[in-house]
Amino acid sequence: MRLVKQALAVARKDLSVELRTKESLNSAGAFAIVILLLFSFAFDPDAEMAQELSGGLLWLVFAFAGALVFNRGFARELPNECLDALLASSVSSAGLVLGKAIASVGILLIIELLSLFVFGIFYNKQWWAHPAELAAVFVLASWGICIVGAVFGALTVNLRLRELMLPVIIYPLLLPLLMAAIELTNRLLANQKIGDSDWLWARVLIVFDVVFTALSMLLAEPILVN
Amino acid sequence: MDARNIAFMFYGLLTAWLIVACYVVSLARRGARLKKELDDVKQLMNANAGAGTEKQTARR
Amino acid sequence: MREKVAYGLVALAAIILAVNFYRIMLVLPDDAMQGPIYRIIYFHVPAAITAFTGFFVALILSAWYLSSGNMAADSLAASVTEVSLVFAVLNLVTGSIWAHVIWGVWWTWDARLTSMLVCVLIYAGYLMLRQAIDEPTRRARLAAALSIFGFADVVIVWKSIEWFRTNHPQPVLSVRTGGGHMDPRMEAALYINLLALLLFAAALTIVRARQESTAREIDSLRRYANAY
Repeated sequence: MRLVKQALAVARKDLSVELRTKESLNSAGAFAIVILLLFSFAFDPDAEMAQELSGGLLWLVFAFAGALVFNRGFARELPNECLDALLASSVSSAGLVLGKAIASVGILLIIELLSLFVFGIFYNKQWWAHPAELAAVFVLASWGICIVGAVFGALTVNLRLRELMLPVIIYPLLLPLLMAAIELTNRLLANQKIGDSDWLWARVLIVFDVVFTALSMLLAEPILVN
Repeated sequence: MDARNIAFMFYGLLTAWLIVACYVVSLARRGARLKKELDDVKQLMNANAGAGTEKQTARR
Repeated sequence: MREKVAYGLVALAAIILAVNFYRIMLVLPDDAMQGPIYRIIYFHVPAAITAFTGFFVALILSAWYLSSGNMAADSLAASVTEVSLVFAVLNLVTGSIWAHVIWGVWWTWDARLTSMLVCVLIYAGYLMLRQAIDEPTRRARLAAALSIFGFADVVIVWKSIEWFRTNHPQPVLSVRTGGGHMDPRMEAALYINLLALLLFAAALTIVRARQESTAREIDSLRRYANAY
């Protein structure tokens, strides 16, 4: 499929730039660890309550770090008019947005894995009990964050207050996704049985991803092209 | 309990109407400001048009 | 002409509200369990329905703008969203006051309150985005995209939070429960209030949309004046 090939090409470009400069990885990764550290002062890490809050804590960290990642996504194309060049090329707008999202997901997943390690050490949590399910939740939720981030990164790329507007617009939209991710992560980290309500939240994750990916593909053209 | 209940009901309805009233007032003020701005711009344009023709006649 | 329509709608809404107010306050009996405070529902629920109707209309208008490029659609979408936001805030505030009397707390993180708060945040973001972009066509396009995303999110938020256990009063209107939960006279009064609020919202939207096109006219006149 042409769209997927274009998207993968864009993603490969972004990821190779990122792996060479490591600007997003370093800044977002350091940010994530700092926030985990700050939270350890806000809540006592040994308390029972802190154990219950682990899902919320993790996903707040990922949401904030993700903002740093997808903020860079389209902004890095602004100097030297690279964005205009990309739009003028044969890459479709949908492919461009999809590619940016794929690259952001890759970077975000690396940061999430790193954060999980640090979290396990700081909070004395064993998080590897259900690796497959945890990985599925992380991938689905991160995809939701990054596809919305990519579309709205494209939308706000030329705004004066981009760094401020982007989080303000995106976080209310991401609320159902984050809620679902937090609930599921809490259950998986606490090593509890997967119940019916968990499948509801899993469905919310999937529906969110499907709906917003479809909308992003449809609306990429009007958003990007002048 | 019942008297407090009724009091809060009135507060509630009053607040609701206050919110609506505030919005209507802000809408009215914005309308007045826009109308004034429109009149100013139209006046500016007429002045410009007048000055333009004066310049033309003076040059000739 | 448009002003006359707006004034006519407001007058009609005012009459309906005044007549209904009399009925609500003096004719209808108190709720068996809640006492007089329940009467807030006559504004709380219609405000919510009005707000969501407005957001849905904004969705249609935004899609229409994206397919046709008609700037009037954009003006109307912005106006409808702004007016609906006012009614959504009204819903939250009246709900909060009601909650204070019934549950003893000003706010609780139950399903519907949270969903409505999310809606308010999303559409407040829409208005903020509009303010941040100066160029009219670009503003219209991006705002339309956000409106579509926003409504999709509203639907997902509502359905997902509804699955969560909630201590908000369960649906009582006949359309949702098939009848029998609410006294029909009370329900009728609620629907009449809803009609009045919808008319009022329509009037406000017309006025606001007029202001939008005036602003656009000023903008184009300025550009013209600066060019010569």
